[in-house]
Amino acid sequence: MRPILECQKLTKKYGNFFALSNVDLSLERGKIVGLLGPNGSGKTTLIKLANGLLTPTEGHIMINGLEPGPATKKIVSYLPDHSFFNGHMKVKHLMAYYADFYRNFSTERALKMLDALEIDKDKRLNALSKGAQEKVQLVLVMSRDADLYILDEPIGGVDPAARDYILRTILSNYSENSTVLISTHLITDIEQVLDHVIFLQNGQISLNTSVDEIRTEYGKSVDALFREVFKC
Amino acid sequence: MLGRLIKYDLKSSGKLFILLHGIFLIFCILMRFIYMDRLDLLAPVDEKMLVVSLLLFFTIFTVFVSALMFYTLMQIAFRYYRNLFSREGYLSWTLPVSGIQHLWAKIISGCIFMAADTLIVAAGILILATGKNIRNAYSLIADEITLQLGMTIGDFGLILLILCLASCICNVVMIYFCINIGQLFPGHRVLCAVAAYIITSTVIQTGSLIILFIFGYFPGYEFFAAEGATTFDFMINIYVISGVISAVVTVAMYIASHYIMKKKINLI
Repeated sequence: MRPILECQKLTKKYGNFFALSNVDLSLERGKIVGLLGPNGSGKTTLIKLANGLLTPTEGHIMINGLEPGPATKKIVSYLPDHSFFNGHMKVKHLMAYYADFYRNFSTERALKMLDALEIDKDKRLNALSKGAQEKVQLVLVMSRDADLYILDEPIGGVDPAARDYILRTILSNYSENSTVLISTHLITDIEQVLDHVIFLQNGQISLNTSVDEIRTEYGKSVDALFREVFKC
Repeated sequence: MLGRLIKYDLKSSGKLFILLHGIFLIFCILMRFIYMDRLDLLAPVDEKMLVVSLLLFFTIFTVFVSALMFYTLMQIAFRYYRNLFSREGYLSWTLPVSGIQHLWAKIISGCIFMAADTLIVAAGILILATGKNIRNAYSLIADEITLQLGMTIGDFGLILLILCLASCICNVVMIYFCINIGQLFPGHRVLCAVAAYIITSTVIQTGSLIILFIFGYFPGYEFFAAEGATTFDFMINIYVISGVISAVVTVAMYIASHYIMKKKINLI
């Protein structure tokens, strides 16, 4: 089976600054992958390139063997690190919007999650608290039967109790053939769910290994290794 | 998917557009009964008072129409920018549609709004200017104007309306082209888009004047009048040349936008 995400000599420059430099990467299916690195290491750039929001300066990025485009966007469910909905829309209208454009969106699943989180579907998005808005976004993204979920800081703005719910949501909503790529700084919170980690440093991959290997080879947790590698 | 994109574009801006244009139509209807129908243009009146009141009324009307057209223009520009290049762009660009479908959806919805705006303004003018008193007063000078124009004022107005509707496409494509140009810069993208609009408008207008000058239409009305041509002949020639220039410029701007939307998208 072809990798769900593949990068070949992927480079992205902003002026003279290399946000990503010659990145070679291949992500297998059925894994929860942590994309970890300090601020400015290129995590969000890589994620944006995978979603076709940026054009590579050099190299290629492929999703299921295809360059980012309408066909790959059908199978990728993306959560950016900030609000990306029209705040004037009601939650129920956002659900209708997703159902209109994504064939793999399950309204039933979204309703179930919104009810569990006690979010009023008749409210406008900007009438909800910041945490509730983030939950709505995550619910809609995770209510798709996607092959690749790309979550950029999914738990950054919510309280610890909601974090547990979100992590449970991620775990319970992806199938064995799906891959979840999570970028976050809150490693301790997500370490328990990760199968694989990628460390990005100055636009290059400094580590690409499984969580089990980190524990056996380095005798450390992912969080401890991260603190050691990226020590200031 | 194109239909769905257009549906959401129309829905997102439709309410305020309908409200403002509805207010304009109500204003026109009220002014027709309160002001226009009470004007007795044939009776001996204090000319100064008549001129002052007409001047005041048409100033208010012109400001209203200009504000409405400016609103429509801004609404189309903001919708395009906000939906594709601000935070909302993160959702728009991850929908399973191509950049070209996005561009066409925005062109079609933008043209619908601009055409609707033009038609509503035309309807407002018709409401104000078709009272019996106005028609009676106009009938006294109708022959002279028909002779000058080479056609009735109604036909002339209809041709003007068709030309205005055709120019909607050029205006919409130009707005999107300038916003797309702004997106090519690493920072101050809105400012760059405004600068692109000013530069593009200046280049098009200067180029048009040069072409009209080369063809002898600018300044050339006296020449045409001496040849025995009507105002209409002169104007229609200018419109044809301007139309050809607009069509060429619109196609060029569309091709550039098409390329940017396909190859140069960078949401920073």
